Amino acid sequence: MNRLNALRGQGSWGGEAVRRFSRSTAAMLLCVVVAGYVALGVASSGSFFEGPSVRVFLQYLATPILIGLAQMVALCVGQLNLAVGALGGFIACLMGVLMADHGMPAGVAVIVGLLTATAIGLATGVAIVGTQINGFIVTLATMTILLGAQYRLTGTRTVDGYSRTLRDFGTAAPLNIPLVFVTALVAAALLAAFMYRTVAGRRLLAAGGNPLAARLSGISTDRQIVAAHTLSGLLIGVAAVTATASLPGVNRSVGGDWLLPSFAAPIIGGVALTGGSIAVLGTVLAAFVTRLIDAARAQFSLDPSWVNLLIGLVVLGTVAGGRLHQTRLEKSATTDGAVLPQSGGAQ
Amino acid sequence: MTTSISPPDTVPEEKAAPHRMPFWVNQRLGLLVLVIALSVLFGVLRPAFLDQQLVLFPLLRDVATLTVVALAQMVALSVGHMNLAVGRMAAFGAMFAGLGYDRLGVPMQVGLLLCLAAGAAIGAVTGWLIARTGVSSFVVTLAMDFALLGLVSLLYSSLTDDAAFTTHPSGIDALRSYSLADICAGPICGSPAVPQIAQFTVLAMLALGFLYGCTRIGRELLLTGANPAAAELSGIPTGRRVLLAHTLSGLLAALAGFMAAAGTGTFRASIGDDFMLPSFLGAVLGGTLLTGGVVSVLGTLLGTALVGVIRKGLDLLGVGLESLNIYLGCVLLLALSADRIRTVVSYRKVVRST
Amino acid sequence: MSGTVLLACEDLVKVFPGVRALDGVGLRLTAGSVHALLGENGAGKSTLIKVLTGVHSPDGGRLTWNGQQVHLRSPLEATRTGIGVVHQERNLIPGFSVAENITLQNPPSHRGLVDREAMTAPAVACLAELGVDLDPQRPVRELSVAQQQLVEIAKALYTESRVLLLDEPTASLSPQETERLFEVIRRLADRGACVVFVSHKLEEVFAVCDTVTVLRDGKSVLESSPLPDHTHDDIVGLMVGRAHAATEMRPRTVDRSTTPTLVLDKVSTAGGHRDISLEVRPGEIVGLYGLVGAGRSELVKAVLGLDRVTGGEIRVHGSPVRITSPRQALHEYGIGYVTENRKEEGVFLEQPIVRNITVTVWKRLAKALGFVSAREERDVAQDLVDRLGIRVSGLGQNAGELSGGNQQKVSLAKWLAADTRLLVVDEPTVGVDVRTKRAFHELIWDLARDGLPILLISSDLAEMVTLADRIVVMRDHRIRGELDNDRDYDRMSDRVIRLIHDRDTVRS
Repeated sequence: MNRLNALRGQGSWGGEAVRRFSRSTAAMLLCVVVAGYVALGVASSGSFFEGPSVRVFLQYLATPILIGLAQMVALCVGQLNLAVGALGGFIACLMGVLMADHGMPAGVAVIVGLLTATAIGLATGVAIVGTQINGFIVTLATMTILLGAQYRLTGTRTVDGYSRTLRDFGTAAPLNIPLVFVTALVAAALLAAFMYRTVAGRRLLAAGGNPLAARLSGISTDRQIVAAHTLSGLLIGVAAVTATASLPGVNRSVGGDWLLPSFAAPIIGGVALTGGSIAVLGTVLAAFVTRLIDAARAQFSLDPSWVNLLIGLVVLGTVAGGRLHQTRLEKSATTDGAVLPQSGGAQ
Repeated sequence: MTTSISPPDTVPEEKAAPHRMPFWVNQRLGLLVLVIALSVLFGVLRPAFLDQQLVLFPLLRDVATLTVVALAQMVALSVGHMNLAVGRMAAFGAMFAGLGYDRLGVPMQVGLLLCLAAGAAIGAVTGWLIARTGVSSFVVTLAMDFALLGLVSLLYSSLTDDAAFTTHPSGIDALRSYSLADICAGPICGSPAVPQIAQFTVLAMLALGFLYGCTRIGRELLLTGANPAAAELSGIPTGRRVLLAHTLSGLLAALAGFMAAAGTGTFRASIGDDFMLPSFLGAVLGGTLLTGGVVSVLGTLLGTALVGVIRKGLDLLGVGLESLNIYLGCVLLLALSADRIRTVVSYRKVVRST
Repeated sequence: MSGTVLLACEDLVKVFPGVRALDGVGLRLTAGSVHALLGENGAGKSTLIKVLTGVHSPDGGRLTWNGQQVHLRSPLEATRTGIGVVHQERNLIPGFSVAENITLQNPPSHRGLVDREAMTAPAVACLAELGVDLDPQRPVRELSVAQQQLVEIAKALYTESRVLLLDEPTASLSPQETERLFEVIRRLADRGACVVFVSHKLEEVFAVCDTVTVLRDGKSVLESSPLPDHTHDDIVGLMVGRAHAATEMRPRTVDRSTTPTLVLDKVSTAGGHRDISLEVRPGEIVGLYGLVGAGRSELVKAVLGLDRVTGGEIRVHGSPVRITSPRQALHEYGIGYVTENRKEEGVFLEQPIVRNITVTVWKRLAKALGFVSAREERDVAQDLVDRLGIRVSGLGQNAGELSGGNQQKVSLAKWLAADTRLLVVDEPTVGVDVRTKRAFHELIWDLARDGLPILLISSDLAEMVTLADRIVVMRDHRIRGELDNDRDYDRMSDRVIRLIHDRDTVRS
């Protein structure tokens, strides 16, 4: 009879295996992306490699990368952010309404949007830490509130009469590389630099990697959780900006389908659900993979629902495969045995 | 030798009986009082609220359906897991019923059975995955939610013309519109406010109440949630119990899907779209713990009823649908904060008495 | 510099719900000394450490540093004051390098950016102080437990700790690693620090410490006294609370000719056990003695099916068995296991006592549709509450509200309710007050008298000598030897310790 093998609370020391797996994950994902790209190119008789196709492909990659990074930041301190879509949609509608209904210039609206997103992230983090309620429930509540707020802003209409400048930014693509995509890459690079090079970023990782050890070294895990949610909020704000810029208009359905992709990218990219690890490259590549699936769907004129089904299955396969891989590694090495089941809830 | 984070426990003398919380702080009672008080309040502000046929009947029909959804979540919570896919499992199950009615022309009961079987099957797959791989239920059910979203949409669009099954036996229409007023024992008829569809809710509540209150398996489910390691060492087959919990969750979700379809008369892919929040709201407000080990069937009903009354009342008062969600989210946060405050207060009381 | 009192506490009190963990503790830590902090499990050592390191604030008494009163509101404040600690469990960030872990509290930085090059020098310097040579860039998760411990001590050096608390530092170390640790400790003391050595291994305490404080039931029964003034027995007597001898029990005979209930025949496991052979007969108490890390609990868990048995044979009542789960062990073979960590694995803290006790008998009590009669349940539970003398305010009381001794009784009760035919008891009296400990010993003894075979795992040698008929000594997942117990504590402890440290195995 096969035994349950659960991840121990504090990032298991058998995590050498996990680390190798994530490093090899990035390499593997790169292969998948390249192979998939080539396959699609062949299937489309070369038109996939042409300028306009590349532009469209990369254009709709910006938002998945950014929301994947936003969720990754929350995951790194062992938190979950269910409000990714709702917050993104709310900010997008906020900016749209400010520009179209109140004539606010694009630059100001963008700044307002980013600041609001960051503030809401901050408030969420404070609520979680202050009430000591599970982050899952708090973000579930904020998701509900924001969905309502989003509906309040736009009602049933689609807001589209907004700034030309932003629209141009959204569609501009020098050398067929969309500016929004560049924005996403820049954000990824800055995030990576933040995590690997700054004191604040290392503190965040420390708090996620071993909360007790971090606490004993004077790092307040509460503060790190607030910081993580704030940063997550900021990234969602950027995602909302790119969405507003590239979409023809904003309405209450914006952000409605962001939740799974925000988890899918980090999970497929090799980020540990228990916290303490990030994989910027892996997340970005995983976003590429999901986008490829979407492009393949369009190429073969399949129903959009195939994408959801496939991504759901890929995520399931990744986590199941990762766990079984770890189990096999642990079985072949000498372990300390005891394989009792652990709680399988939100974390 | 082990170090535990919790305090050590040597006591030179035994303690007297610990403080018990006063009777009136009981959560269920509080909920009941709130529901009645709010109903009265809304009734006073808008007498139309108390209209049995036009307002109370649809309200109770919604509450009946959402209570079953919340019960589905409660069952997953009982083992310390969660089921984010309640909505899609509902749609999945309902689809099979619709398929049965539309293509195979089966009688109503058979369709219902198909629906329940499908829900149980998909729940079992989920539970098997979780038990077998040890991956958190959050991720598995989230991924399952989206896989099902895609699958259900695909199946509906390939099997139907307009993404809905509309043919159904007349029993469904009866379910939708009959109320207790149609059941008469001699000259006395029941209230027109209570929908007949609530019979499923009552059945589900009775069954779960029996399961968790009186049976071995129910107790084992709760202990699996309370402490999986201790449960395993005490001889409980935790893997099988987790599988059972998710199977039941899927079955109940499917039942809710059937009820929702009966409520509108059509079987479509969008059934269950907004089941996820109410599923948690009802269960958590009713006293079921997120961490597992404690459930309350009656509390789940009361929690869902409270949310339903607030929704309907605010709706009648002219508060837009949009703002409803805002208020509901705040209600959830407030309710949970109040619970935290209660815990902190009782902790302080015990410390002071030591 | 030597001789200055660095940290002192007077009349420290700390209260948790239902427990007075510290009830008037006094302590004086002087520079240049190695100070032993002793006490049985549950005497208050962990709580005292937590108070000294700022994790908990005391509810009474005072703490002074260099003569000035201090209030340590957080671990950070304690570290800044100069108090460092190395816990039993490793407290390092697995993904970070050695250097980054050492400098975690105050990483060298330049305008908010981490300066990795500037980290290496101080890290290497701290390691050198300890005489340790490690690559500062290596991720800490790749190091051995002993090496990680040294990194943690280096970390305390980096933060300029004047007082360093070591909590059970040698728990998972080999003799060579322990010797190296002792050298490091002596070096630190020579530098003018005070090293607080918390351990239950008296041989080591006498080897490296010069001052001693003994805690018992939350009070300091011996305060900061020079160690050479006391003998081994004095100390143990102070820890236990009365003139200590292996407690006398009513006579009990064991029939050596009956078929053993449980036989392990050259068993190896995936956890590293090799060639484990032992047997337990009806009415016999077989003790499994070893230091922490010997692999005893892991062996039992493997027998119960929670880890793979890779070789040898297990026989129950003479027939070979393959046990795949604790459920099978209980319902098919009648094997019960009273776990070591009652809070994590033995007791359901947030569940009522009646459920805690009857969990093993629901299968038997269940009727049609799995219905369990609440009345029958209560009868079973009440019967056991009476038999074991568990102090409860009602069967509906949550197990978490009971004292440690009563919780342990609840943990045992469920196996008695199930009428198990073999009982494995793992560290039964950890964190249990002395009176309950004695009651437990009598209970276990009486169970054996009534014919129940018992496998007793304990790190408490006195308990072992009191109860066991035979003592099997384990170390590093191997059996070092087996001894017949003649119930003379001094003789037995001598033989056992020699078995643990000697090269050759002995079977008597």
